[in-house]
Amino acid sequence: MPPKGKAAQKPKANDPPPAQPQTQQPPATQATTSPTTPTTIAARSAAFASESRPFESPTTSKPTSISSLPRDAQATWTALRFARSPASRNRLPLKVQREYWKLINESSLPIRALRKNYDYGAAGSYDLATYEAWREKRTLLTCLEVQSRAFRERREREREGVRDISGDKVVVTGEEMDEERERRKEMAGLKRELYGVLGGQLEGDPEWDDVVPIAQEEPEGALATISYPGEYAEAMGYLRAVMIKKEYSARCLRLTETIIEMNPAHYTMWLYRAAILFAMKLPIPDEIEWLNEVSLEHLKNYQIWHHRHLLVDNYYPTIANDAEAVKAFGASEIAFLKQILAEDTKNYHVWSYRSYLVEKLGIWDVPEELSSIEGMINDDVRNNSAWSHRFFLIFSNPAHSTKGVAATERDPAVPAALVDREVAYSQEKIALAPQNQSPWNYLRGVLVKGGRKLGSVEDFVQGFVHELGTESEDVTSSHALDLLAEIYAEKGDKSQAELCLRRLAEKWDRIRSGYWEWRKKCLDTP
Amino acid sequence: MSVRIKASQRRVRAVFQPKTRTTPTAPSSTSPSTSSTPPIPTTQEKSKRQSSKMQRMGRTVDSGPVSVPDLFCQKPVIRDALETPTSVTQDETVESMVPNLNARAPRLRYNDLGVPRLERQKHVNFLQKTMGPFPSQYLHADASRPWYLYWSLAGLTMLGEDVSSYRERLVETARAMQNDTGGFGGGGKQTPHLATTYAIVLSLALVGGEEAYEAIDRRAMWKWLCALKQPDGGFQVSVGGEEDVRGAYCASVIITLLNIPLDLTTDSPAWTPDGRANLLSGLGDYVRRCQTYEGGISGQPNAEAHGAYAFCALGCLALIGDPREVVPRYLDIPRLIAWLSSRQYAPEGGFSGRTNKLVDGCYSHWVGGCFPLIEACLGPIDDAPSAQPRQDGQTATTPSIDLPAAPETLFSREGLVRYILGCCQNPEKGGLRDKPGKGPDPYHSCYVLAGLSSAQHQWQLASRGEDEPSAAIDDPVWLVLRHLDDVRVYEQEDVVRAIHPVYAIPHKHQQDMRSYFLAKEGF
Ligand SMILES: [Zn+2]
Repeated sequence: MPPKGKAAQKPKANDPPPAQPQTQQPPATQATTSPTTPTTIAARSAAFASESRPFESPTTSKPTSISSLPRDAQATWTALRFARSPASRNRLPLKVQREYWKLINESSLPIRALRKNYDYGAAGSYDLATYEAWREKRTLLTCLEVQSRAFRERREREREGVRDISGDKVVVTGEEMDEERERRKEMAGLKRELYGVLGGQLEGDPEWDDVVPIAQEEPEGALATISYPGEYAEAMGYLRAVMIKKEYSARCLRLTETIIEMNPAHYTMWLYRAAILFAMKLPIPDEIEWLNEVSLEHLKNYQIWHHRHLLVDNYYPTIANDAEAVKAFGASEIAFLKQILAEDTKNYHVWSYRSYLVEKLGIWDVPEELSSIEGMINDDVRNNSAWSHRFFLIFSNPAHSTKGVAATERDPAVPAALVDREVAYSQEKIALAPQNQSPWNYLRGVLVKGGRKLGSVEDFVQGFVHELGTESEDVTSSHALDLLAEIYAEKGDKSQAELCLRRLAEKWDRIRSGYWEWRKKCLDTP
Repeated sequence: MSVRIKASQRRVRAVFQPKTRTTPTAPSSTSPSTSSTPPIPTTQEKSKRQSSKMQRMGRTVDSGPVSVPDLFCQKPVIRDALETPTSVTQDETVESMVPNLNARAPRLRYNDLGVPRLERQKHVNFLQKTMGPFPSQYLHADASRPWYLYWSLAGLTMLGEDVSSYRERLVETARAMQNDTGGFGGGGKQTPHLATTYAIVLSLALVGGEEAYEAIDRRAMWKWLCALKQPDGGFQVSVGGEEDVRGAYCASVIITLLNIPLDLTTDSPAWTPDGRANLLSGLGDYVRRCQTYEGGISGQPNAEAHGAYAFCALGCLALIGDPREVVPRYLDIPRLIAWLSSRQYAPEGGFSGRTNKLVDGCYSHWVGGCFPLIEACLGPIDDAPSAQPRQDGQTATTPSIDLPAAPETLFSREGLVRYILGCCQNPEKGGLRDKPGKGPDPYHSCYVLAGLSSAQHQWQLASRGEDEPSAAIDDPVWLVLRHLDDVRVYEQEDVVRAIHPVYAIPHKHQQDMRSYFLAKEGF
């Protein structure tokens, strides 16, 4: 079992320690030489063993030589040797054999020598009463193990379609399954108590009996190894086994959930989970409901969003012909996205998913979508993710855009009214905080898309630049000055353009002076 | 590594030309770039530097023994009154960095320009521990163990350490993560993934040597890559996984570094009966669809521009042909530069990943690392690429836009260096981080150091044919130069090793691996 590695040897601090007396008992060999009654079970066994070996030196365990014994003892020695070496027995005449048996009876010696140094493990140091209790538990465990083995055999027969004596197919009932689960729990508890062994969750689950987990093999001296917590190592062991078999089942789905809870960044798990869902044709809305919770728990995780993407790819074709269903699904998705973006307003993967969703479902013109974005811009006019999504919603809408036109290019399909509306929208937002670059980038993007001259907004831009190049120069937006330089360049007014760029480099945006320098050089390039 | 002098309009003195790639070689010991850099400036030079600094930056703010230019410690000149969650977080962040920006953070060793020393040894110690063994709290990393290896090995290498001693253990570790059907997973028996495969392949290149290279099953890798290739040109990161720009970049790196054949297997989703599609075809168009109205690049079409994807997009394009030709063909470069440049904030000096987000040390690479690639694509093309067929099957054409060469630098190298050394170092246990108040980790350590490499060096693409052996295989040759600033604010000893601007490992390691597989016949 894979998890037995580290976890099994080192019980966690918060687990109850195995029931062992804490004090160290004297070693068992000493007890045999002392005349006092043995106090531990190991000592008692050693004493018994010693008694059963009358012709051995208790200290050296070497057999005593026959010549050093008194005469009557010599006879017993020979008799004992006869009794304990079966091979020699039949070689003697029957009469002699009978003689020997008689001698042994009289000496009341056991016919077998008891094993020396019997290994009780930790229990060896228990006192007799503790040992009795321990042994009772061990007996109980053995009984449970026998019952459990019978259960496993029954399940095996069920799987193989074997019929019982009455001719019916063997069926393991849910009740039996529950009993077995209880039994496993009890067994795991006893094992921990008796041997200090921590059993795994899955190992104890009869549902997983047929799977042999595959341990993670790390080569000698491997780099970046992680000391996995026991439950994780165990779950991964079972996962590897079922993934190799390409098993797609309910238990595998639960297993991915267990692992995702521990490590949501495990991309293999998400891909496998999607494969299971699709192979079993499980209802996608249920999965999405589960995913919503996981997403809120792990805001920064991005595997979640690819999983959602796959779910929608799979689910959409089943509702594509039902406009109402698409609308309802879109609405529920948008509602969830609103909720998650309220927690993390610029979450890149959520926004990427959102644009995917709009395109996939074709929900470009759903009023809630645009109004929700406006709401976010109202909450924080500097939220560039919201601005980007707005640009996408408007300028990638197939109703008025041309497929294949780059984002930085003019699109003749964009209606003039739309350009006007968006120009006005961005200007209104710029006015709130003129040094906010988001709406400036948006404005410029809109002008390019609409094929408008940048100069068409010159009046607006001039409003943020006062008496440039004079003593009383004032600029309330470096982005306005940047755009103004482009407007002058567009008009062919190189010296004014240069002035804008020079003032940006000298005063209004000095950190970018290298860039402004380059822009000046660009003025000479037609 | 040969050193030669090259006349250049830029104030560049020495060209460290990477070794030619004729022989597949056994690994040789790596040497930090500091060994071939000019000597430490004298005190006289230092005071000259400082006075020229005063002149350039105007006002400086006295901060006790050192002076920090106001640009890097004062609030920006234009500030809006309106408060929103974004501005509140931004203000709080700058507020929390005040001691760092003013050269007053405890336990950092500042020079007279208010820039701390690179705590090289502490970072080495930190990164030696981030390759495990890990306690159970690292469970979340179970699917990204290869990343820990790449981040740590790359970080150590940039710090000048020789990591070839990890070869044997890495090879064993990697073998256990390799899948019979090709590619490497996050661990044994995990589904192979492009990101973890990228991390393992680069790690193997970092430790170098035939044993490391031969650990890769290239035939299986080829088949697996074919299974990931999509009809729209992109790559899924794993079979059934997401398709994004990161996958496109990782795949291009793996394909070129391992010299994987470009032909598609007939069961590839991208296979076409006319046999014209190959592993690299359509990638340019895929990347193009990811450029947004802001000019930056999103992870997949229709999403928000994001720094990490900008690097992946440029890196991917730089591998499918000559970047001077391919990048302008698929991207609107002026918009991209505008967006990249907007990522650098003052007073922090570091880069953010998106518009109106906070600066973060890792974007020193994701955004900072875009500049070498972009700068190499600018300027008049002296040797217009001939109409040679490109690797992705398209025919090369002269780019339609002729953009002026970059000035001295397109971004504030001083700002980035100040942010990296002043805000991203953990002065106690070592390691680098997102920002003050955050813990160090191998991911940030690697990418912050890579950003430092970008700030301290500059790269040029050699003209075709200039370098004979490389011209034969038609690889663009990246020449790395030390960037010599007006004022070098960091100490000479704090230069880190230069990395290849696309592969994010030192040039030598990239070349050794690629030439090994170029020389190899068949799999
Ligand atoms: Zn970061």
